[in-house]
Amino acid sequence: MKIDKKSIVKKKSITVGFLYEQLKERFNLRLLSKNPDFDKKITEQNLHRPGLALAGFVDLFSYKRVQVCGNTEMRYLKSLTKKQREDTLKTIFDFDIPCFIITNNNKPSKEFLEVAQKKHVAVFGTKYSTTKLAYLVSDFLDDQFAPRFSVHGSFIDVYGVGILFVGKSGIGKSEVALDLLERGHRLVADDVVLFTKKGEGILIGSGTQLVKHFMEIRGIGLINVKEMFGVRAIRYQKRLEVVVELEIWDKKSNYTRTGLENETINILDVEIPYIKLPILPGKNITVISEVIALNYLLKHYGYDAAVEFQKRLQSKLQKGSSPPNRVVDYFEHDFE
Amino acid sequence: MIEKKVKIINNAGLHTRPAATIVKIAAKYKSDFYIYKDGLKINGKSIIGVMTLAAEKGSELTLVFDGEDEKEAAEEIVKYFEEGFGEL
Repeated sequence: MKIDKKSIVKKKSITVGFLYEQLKERFNLRLLSKNPDFDKKITEQNLHRPGLALAGFVDLFSYKRVQVCGNTEMRYLKSLTKKQREDTLKTIFDFDIPCFIITNNNKPSKEFLEVAQKKHVAVFGTKYSTTKLAYLVSDFLDDQFAPRFSVHGSFIDVYGVGILFVGKSGIGKSEVALDLLERGHRLVADDVVLFTKKGEGILIGSGTQLVKHFMEIRGIGLINVKEMFGVRAIRYQKRLEVVVELEIWDKKSNYTRTGLENETINILDVEIPYIKLPILPGKNITVISEVIALNYLLKHYGYDAAVEFQKRLQSKLQKGSSPPNRVVDYFEHDFE
Repeated sequence: MIEKKVKIINNAGLHTRPAATIVKIAAKYKSDFYIYKDGLKINGKSIIGVMTLAAEKGSELTLVFDGEDEKEAAEEIVKYFEEGFGEL
């Protein structure tokens, strides 16, 4: 599987209006200033506390970021005389700031709101503490600015393990998906899967808004998995844990036999276990997929079958040669 | 590899019927066929993929063909787009 550079996209900016729409209910954000410019763009995913800038040091002021004012900033502004406060605010608002968020239910002074309105800067208030709000908003902005890409494949939750099936068109990805659904596993998306990088080392996959749990089965056409198999057969998103590439059996290709070497694929700098699975007549890919998931879980819980077997073999070799033994001896006089 | 830019010119946009036709044409050829729109990359041989684009009138798509018969595939599919899916 190749990840095409062109299919990786990253948002360059979001508008203040979008931020407000998305967060107003989730984080109890209230708009405090009048006629703000909701088209102002937020281009950075980090937040900034303008403490030093308020104190007059604006040399390295990260004004492009969302500015968060907590108790410290508000108390400081209050401690100034009216004249000082006006000067300070004037200096700050000369920069093109996207918006302010004032935490802990602090009330901005009249002067603050006046300058903000003059510059059409949105000022939001929230009851959350600065630490909590910074954490929540950072998470939201990280997600918005995270790199995304789309993949042609089927993404299924098998025993809680997110397996992405890829392979050439018509090789039977959707059929494997259907078979897995029938056995009680859950479909995340078929055909077009969108992945977003979360934090470091996590890829989250989901379907598109339009297609959401529709599938195409060749010879039948479109089906709706949620209507057909019920709500137990679907889920909205899942972490990507294993990539399985289906391909027609190729004599020249090297398929894993012992499982001692773990192949991975690098997707957006995340190493994901990668298994190349040859398709042959009579091969039940569904059952193999379940085994892949269970084996992944076992490894996760600290048991690696290939490593265990290797250990056994080595201890046997050290003891010296002997003919193969039966597993147990007590059947010796059992003639059944 | 052949890369072509096309525009949707019929009123209804890229709806179910043309999507099905595109997939059928693409399936005749061995070459891989991908469509790009607004950073979304989809496999042109998958009907759900093509419909996911929800390409309305006026939208621009990039078609990419890759394989032994890419020239013929590109020719036939680009022609179908230029004809406005026979709906002009």
